[in-house]
Amino acid sequence: MSPAEISLAIQDTEFFTALRESALVYPIVMSTHLSSIAIFGGLILLTDLRILGLAMKSVPISDMIRQTRPWKWAGFVIMVTCGILLAGSKLESYYDNPYFQIKLTLLALVGVHAWYFHKSVYGNAAQLDTLPAVPRVAKAAACLSLVLWVGILSAGRWIAYYDRPLPGQASGATRK
Amino acid sequence: MLQIAFDPASNPLNNNEWSFPLFECIHIATFAMSVGTIAIVDFRMLGLAMRRQTPAQLLKDTALWTLAGLIIVITSGLVIFTTDPLRYYYNPSFRYKVIALVAAVIYNYTIHRKVAQSNPSPWVGGPVAAFSLLLWISIVFAGLFYAFT
Repeated sequence: MSPAEISLAIQDTEFFTALRESALVYPIVMSTHLSSIAIFGGLILLTDLRILGLAMKSVPISDMIRQTRPWKWAGFVIMVTCGILLAGSKLESYYDNPYFQIKLTLLALVGVHAWYFHKSVYGNAAQLDTLPAVPRVAKAAACLSLVLWVGILSAGRWIAYYDRPLPGQASGATRK
Repeated sequence: MLQIAFDPASNPLNNNEWSFPLFECIHIATFAMSVGTIAIVDFRMLGLAMRRQTPAQLLKDTALWTLAGLIIVITSGLVIFTTDPLRYYYNPSFRYKVIALVAAVIYNYTIHRKVAQSNPSPWVGGPVAAFSLLLWISIVFAGLFYAFT
């Protein structure tokens, strides 16, 4: 089966068809996806700004990282679940959408980021508080995190502005 | 029928492929900034996170970022509004959103602020925080439902 056929088979399942065609459930899932960006993304933003020394300066870095962790996970799970529901119900038009592919790549890089900086930054929060200055590696992690998440958000929004080019047509970009 | 003084068809945002989605991205990123920074104070008042800090301390630490977020999110929202003012004006979701936004901003800088500064018990802070979260999230929902109504 080609990617197009697999994507079509997934979005044609009874479940995803019902979701796509629901006048209420589909926008609710999308709103929940965005609301979890607000809350979960806000926690990431504040953590990154704290590491960079731009916000929350009276809060130790270890508190900022550890005390928000369960909520970041909860938000991430809700966000990804809603994202899978949204993508699955329109997968045939998403799978070859370049912005969708960029978004998935950046999400994979978020995983690499968490793995790469775990030992030096996120799993080492208590030690960061004892240092006289925030080490460069932690600041680099915070900057990269901001870049990745803004990229994911932007790629996600741009998915809606791409149309697959018709046969013989050069460019695929159109206005919504 | 409402009359408007300019023609949205001449609006630059309607005449290139990138500026409308760009403003949407700015709008989404900065509502995450404003709502997210308010939410962390709310989580604290609900006793759910950041329990080693006081609500007053968190409010002070986030205030500048909340304000910056609100200014940019509202400004970018106004820019988006100019692309099709009449359609927005007559849309019930949009009307709810504007009213709820005004209420939420007033609430945030009066009751919510006073209560957070007083380091309340969960019995007082909890309901104040829960109302704040629900109000802000309802604005996000209304913003999205606009496109579906």
